Amino acid sequence: MGRSKALLLFDEEPLIVHVVATLQRLFADVVVVAAPEQDLPSMPVRLVSDEVAYQGPVGGIYYGLMAAGSDAAFVTSCDSVFLNIDLIAHLLDQLPEHDVVVPHWQGRFQPLHAVYRRSVSPLLAEQLARGQLRPVHLFDKVRLRRVDEDEIRRFDPEGSSFYNMNTPEDYAEALKRWSVTRRAGHSIQCTVELFGIARLLARTSSIALTLPAGATFSDAFAALAEKLPALVGRVISADRTRLVDGYGCNLNGLAFVRTPTAEVNPGDSLIILSADAGG
Amino acid sequence: MHGFFGRLLHVDVTSGQSAYRDVEESRLRKYLGGVGLGTTLLYEYAPAGVDPLSPANPLIFASAPLVGTGVTTTAKFAVLTKSPLTGLIADSLSSSHFALELKRLGIDGLVITGQAPSLVYLFISGQGVETRAADHLRGKTPDETHSIIRSEPGCSTVWVASIGAAGENRVRFATISNEGRHAGRGGVGAVMGAKNLKAIAVCGDRATSVAYPEEVETIADSLRRRSVSSVTDKYRGLGTVANLAVFNRLGTLPTRNFQQATFEHADALSGERLTETSFSRRHGCASCTIRCERLFKSHTGEEQRLEYETLFALGPLCGISDPDCVLRAARLCDDYGLDAISTGGTLSWAIETVEKGLLPEARALGLRFGNADGVLTAIHAIAERQGIGALLAEGSRRAAMATGGGSSYWAMHVKGLELPGYDPRSLKTMALGLAVSPRGACHNRSGAYEADFSGEVDRLRGDSGRGAVVAASEDFAAVLDSLIVCKFLRKCFTDFYAEAAEILARVTGWEYTGAEMRRAGERIHTLKKLFNIREGWRPDSDWLPERLLGENLPTGVARGVGLSPDELEEMIRGYYQAREWDENGFVPERKLEQLEIPTS
Repeated sequence: MGRSKALLLFDEEPLIVHVVATLQRLFADVVVVAAPEQDLPSMPVRLVSDEVAYQGPVGGIYYGLMAAGSDAAFVTSCDSVFLNIDLIAHLLDQLPEHDVVVPHWQGRFQPLHAVYRRSVSPLLAEQLARGQLRPVHLFDKVRLRRVDEDEIRRFDPEGSSFYNMNTPEDYAEALKRWSVTRRAGHSIQCTVELFGIARLLARTSSIALTLPAGATFSDAFAALAEKLPALVGRVISADRTRLVDGYGCNLNGLAFVRTPTAEVNPGDSLIILSADAGG
Repeated sequence: MHGFFGRLLHVDVTSGQSAYRDVEESRLRKYLGGVGLGTTLLYEYAPAGVDPLSPANPLIFASAPLVGTGVTTTAKFAVLTKSPLTGLIADSLSSSHFALELKRLGIDGLVITGQAPSLVYLFISGQGVETRAADHLRGKTPDETHSIIRSEPGCSTVWVASIGAAGENRVRFATISNEGRHAGRGGVGAVMGAKNLKAIAVCGDRATSVAYPEEVETIADSLRRRSVSSVTDKYRGLGTVANLAVFNRLGTLPTRNFQQATFEHADALSGERLTETSFSRRHGCASCTIRCERLFKSHTGEEQRLEYETLFALGPLCGISDPDCVLRAARLCDDYGLDAISTGGTLSWAIETVEKGLLPEARALGLRFGNADGVLTAIHAIAERQGIGALLAEGSRRAAMATGGGSSYWAMHVKGLELPGYDPRSLKTMALGLAVSPRGACHNRSGAYEADFSGEVDRLRGDSGRGAVVAASEDFAAVLDSLIVCKFLRKCFTDFYAEAAEILARVTGWEYTGAEMRRAGERIHTLKKLFNIREGWRPDSDWLPERLLGENLPTGVARGVGLSPDELEEMIRGYYQAREWDENGFVPERKLEQLEIPTS
């Protein structure tokens, strides 16, 4: 590319910021592994550096896992612009019986869109010592879960999750695809999870919503009111644009929604709960 | 005097003597009532360094200016003493008819010192104080005690606060209970038991006088209406048990002694599920329009109150997924007069200790995560101090110190008080609130979690700015606990301090401003801290259990999130700065002068 991929502008922000923001919809703890002295924008992540430069993907995965707070981590590259959080969640769900969960798409493993247990770190360290810088060398030494195309297509029919950019043409193509997606007004799928009074009123704990691209949380509340009219007046305001006082919305179990005019993203889980956590 | 009576009653149960004493108007103005007034009395009556279970440790029941005024949720009283669990201040609240009747005695506080030669109960009426033999009440539950005393001659209208067997046996986390409500935390029941005092029966004849009755009624009416608005929907519609499922989803439900913050069987114990399958009826304290209490039916048809803290502590914290077991365990805690949070916290410590190969006697009881029989058997043993129960009756801190083997690492307490049901690693403001709270790991003396659940702060990352948030939350709680107003009403106020000042001014006839109320909150909180310093608080007392600082959350949405010692230190530094205390957390004299707290 001739310049740092992480800093390429994408959707009016550096590419790395875009990717991190997507991951933070699913993960509380995001680690960015950077090259020594690499320039990066300020982000609410834990930043670690490769101790030795030019160790390829195995080095990045190894240093990332060593810094991760949990016993397993989803690993991806900074140019994975079309991540699909439903697919990532599916990969995580496969973890209990395996050490590595890796998609296999169009005849190739996708090691930079995979889940690794921290327990494989010693094997990665041995690979680094031997100069084996390709992650696939790890796969026959661990309990591997290969996720094949049919399974992937249930979440990501076109395999966009694995799109990355190695040339200026790839970058231009990614921008074009992004712009087309936004303009085309593709619908987005999200889930609303209901807790407390909302669950009792609705007589269900969750419901799927299909919203137009660019839909806001207000739009989501209106769509929810349409599907579950019992919530109107008690949980959703009479004008259907917001939640009434005493109720709140959390996004994917992490951030709380403060501005109803913010946009909903595909795959989001909107959690409707009491705003009062007193007990 | 309006709102107050300007006097307290001091009873020495060693001699049976009692005397009324005036309470200065200036003290009531500055410290309000409830926890504020009680803290001043504790500071005054407790000799420095007193053994909490000795006769000299005062047991103080403090009333408050709004009790008996008709303002919703104000039928409350505070119990203060030096805690046998923490060695620091214990300030617990309870509510309902006993609170109204205590005030009707025409007193603002009841101070009990001494130790009766045998088990007694106090009968207090407008005519005076009688010390009555209570051998027939030994081992009785608080409910039984209430019924038996009421059946005695001349007692048909009394209201009773009493201890169960746990208090008699000086279990360090025993409660004082009345009408199913409990002054629960800090072991106030053990102090009462150490005085050989089984119960206090009160029957008053004095009404609370208010300065401006019509204005007070207007305010009371407005608050009654606001108390049934959408902001209290959770409490009215589901009760606090609503917390469990959502806390699990947000990765903050303490599970298996804080080894996890999600519980795989949370759905079976969720408030929503319990409401659909086992709900029996809704109940409320006297003078309360919110009525948050929920009673559920066990398989045998027995009714039991359940709140979130009881549910989490006797459920996920001990790995228990069977709702019936939780209901039975909750019933045992109520009947014995045990604080359910400390019971669950101590049991989960014991279970983990057994699983790590220590405490063979506890293993023999069947203590292991998820084993209902072991938990139920152990609760009996604790209350009766039988076998290994004698060790567990000391609480997790002392039990761990006696057991050794590194078990203090997983003793989940702050200053000796077991943690409530909010995992501090995924609620960083709460982490600070728990670390610095004067009464130990307490979720009620500040509402620090509130900021974490609002989205105003990043709940997963701490910073020095949390100090001001926690300090403000503590002052707010101190005013609520001194007026006394239930915390479940807190969101019904638009400008709490201004409205509280207005209510108090209309009740007492004294002028108050919102700024004065806020300062009263800071003053009350500071006095609690001064008491603790006098009784041995040290800078390293403000800290969290090692596990929380050494292990990241392994499951749930907050998987991988931890709390580092540096992060906690930064927040504590920010807190001391916000409080204008010195860098070690001591209160400088200039601050005391500013708050008009006498320095000698």
